[in-house]
Amino acid sequence: MISFQPTEEERAFVDLAKDFAEERIRPMARECEEKRQVSPELVEKINELGFLALELPESWGGLEMPLISQVQILEALSFGDLGVVQGLPGAGEAASLIRLIPEHSVLNVYREAGREGSRPTVAFLHAVDNGTPQGLKVEAEGGGYVLNGTSQPVRLAAFADYLAVSAEDSRGEPLLLWLDKADGRWHAEEGDYRLGLLASGCARIRFDNERVSQNQVLAKGDEAQGMLSKALSRIRVLEAAKEVGLMEAALSYTTGYTAQRKAFGQEIAKFQGVSFALADMAIETQAARHLVWRSATKTDRGESDARDSSFSLLSRVHRSLRFVTDSAVQLLGGHGYVQEFPVEKWMRDAQAQTVLYGREGDLLVRCGEQLLNERIPTEV
Amino acid sequence: MISFEMSSHQQQVKDVVHWFAENEMRPISMEADKMGRVPDDWLEKINQLGIQLSTSSFDGGEQKSEKKEKKRKSERQGNRLAVIASEELGWGDPAIALTLPGPGLGGPPVQSSGTPEQKERFLSIFSKDEPPRWGAYALTEPDAGSDVSGIRTTAKKVEGGYVLNGQKIFITNGARASWVVVFATVDRSLGRAGHRAFVVEKGTPGFRCTRLARKMGIRASETAELLFEDCFVPEENLLGGEAYYESRGSGPSGFQVAMKTFDNTRPIVASMAIGIARAAYEYTLDWVRREYPRHGRFYHRASEVLANAELDIEAARLLTWEAAWKADIGQPNAKEAAMCKAYSGKIALDVCAKCLELLGPAGLENHILEKLYRDAKIFDIFEGTNQIQHLVTARQLYEPHGVRV
Repeated sequence: MISFQPTEEERAFVDLAKDFAEERIRPMARECEEKRQVSPELVEKINELGFLALELPESWGGLEMPLISQVQILEALSFGDLGVVQGLPGAGEAASLIRLIPEHSVLNVYREAGREGSRPTVAFLHAVDNGTPQGLKVEAEGGGYVLNGTSQPVRLAAFADYLAVSAEDSRGEPLLLWLDKADGRWHAEEGDYRLGLLASGCARIRFDNERVSQNQVLAKGDEAQGMLSKALSRIRVLEAAKEVGLMEAALSYTTGYTAQRKAFGQEIAKFQGVSFALADMAIETQAARHLVWRSATKTDRGESDARDSSFSLLSRVHRSLRFVTDSAVQLLGGHGYVQEFPVEKWMRDAQAQTVLYGREGDLLVRCGEQLLNERIPTEV
Repeated sequence: MISFEMSSHQQQVKDVVHWFAENEMRPISMEADKMGRVPDDWLEKINQLGIQLSTSSFDGGEQKSEKKEKKRKSERQGNRLAVIASEELGWGDPAIALTLPGPGLGGPPVQSSGTPEQKERFLSIFSKDEPPRWGAYALTEPDAGSDVSGIRTTAKKVEGGYVLNGQKIFITNGARASWVVVFATVDRSLGRAGHRAFVVEKGTPGFRCTRLARKMGIRASETAELLFEDCFVPEENLLGGEAYYESRGSGPSGFQVAMKTFDNTRPIVASMAIGIARAAYEYTLDWVRREYPRHGRFYHRASEVLANAELDIEAARLLTWEAAWKADIGQPNAKEAAMCKAYSGKIALDVCAKCLELLGPAGLENHILEKLYRDAKIFDIFEGTNQIQHLVTARQLYEPHGVRV
């Protein structure tokens, strides 16, 4: 039955997350950005509330929630500040990988490391994008691999104790590796980042003849490809949900601002150039939210087009995010551009987010090619 | 629980209506557009099958009594069924859909504001055992469209009823309708509080259709101009009766009847637009698969356009479903109804235009696409223009902040 009604449990979680976002995350956002790290007290509190364990399997002490529940909670948290949410330590995107293979022996050390409460940070490094290598060379050598080169900037890389790496070796075989900083050497090279998500620990990872043995391999070949594809589908939906949270923040802040700001003798809300733009922001945000929910339920149900739907989803939500955060700055005028108001940061964070997570146009074309290549009915 | 899976009943309605759209509407679609009317024999056949357009809820040919029993047992889902069915009808042919027998847009005001006697009198005439009949809804005037408060048709109280004078334009099925819900003012100086809604029956002296409009699209749908010249309407045809307006005291009256209607009909109109967009998308997807080489600039562009179109359609559908769902669970849905209508009207035209682009000049001749494009444009205009939908949406957004825009 078609319904847009969250469950009681989801509502309770969302209320908790939304209150926390408004009362604790939002006020800390600027400070975290300046320090280029989320404050440890904030992290501790978020961890206590269980928000870092939504995706992790129950056998790991996680909440193992369905995506449809997670997307609502992540949206509520990101309503506080996307920059803070993206800087939270812990399993990060790798949680979606761990969820698929909770009992994998290569993960044992990391699993144990998280037993006492706070979990070490993992960065998920994608060294290959749709068959195109991204700065890293992986060569098979003597039963293992040798890694060389410098990756693209990756979120959480500056804080990472572990790396999940998706790559292809020199023969084109897909690989999923799990690297522990304790028994390897990689260098996190932090660049001069100014655009946004400055507390998210973006850095490039450099490898100099790093030797990786078979017991650092999570999977290879078709198995690695399948696993990666599944994990990425989940990650796209979760990232899109965070983006909706930022859109809601921009929408709600702009509504309040334009309702009280006066010009030409009246609230600027009364000018249709303003109110119609706000209506468009609302429509865009709601449309994006529904698309996220739709992809989440598709993935939860294991529908065959869940993966393709996650491509187009993220592409559209990126576009919506750019539109809504830009509109917020525009409607605040000069105040939108200065740092006394949050919206300039939100627009920067939004742009950085869309750059980090898949090229918007490319995601769209990939989805379109799928549509043209197979019969996917749009009928519901 | 959030779910986008149709129940078996919803799926069944969708399947039945789709079958009808594909096998009964599509074959006469281009011809009806050319003739500028839906063939009478077709309408008679359809009516005998019990197929009607009821915008209050879609009954898909079920017996009324059965339906009432079902309603009691389970969650209300009339609005969701209506948008599911309307999408298929829009896919089939929106002009023919608007011409299906039944109370049409006149149904919701009678349903929501009529007295029990009026509901019985006006809504019971639609039957498969009778000739096909229609209802209509007459609000727009030459000088008052979006601004409903500006209507000039007057209703003067006289012994036993009212005398109407004025003109109405753009009235769907206005000439063929057995009755028309007509909005008029008893006193222009009262503004919205002076508005009244009357049910004017066909053949009432002083009421006639003066002209049928020729249009860009939905040509098979009848768009009438109506004239009221000293037209006497008995008291019992005042929608809701005198008591309805007296009890409301200072509150807006006929205006509220008019607006309440929109919260119900906008999602239905939006879903027809979605049906048009889907028809264009599916047609073009199929065409590109057959006609385009599997590489190169055109193919790349087609991938992008079609992926975007699919997203637009999906997003519009979900907005529309939400508006319908809210109505079903009894929550206010004015904002959602306006949002889904604004979005669907816009994307429908956009999807059609992009699909025409992919067909190139070949799209000009003998393709359903150019018709879909012409049909789609009205969905950005009727039942409240895109701008009015923005206004309603903004009003709802600012309301908690105490600003009336």
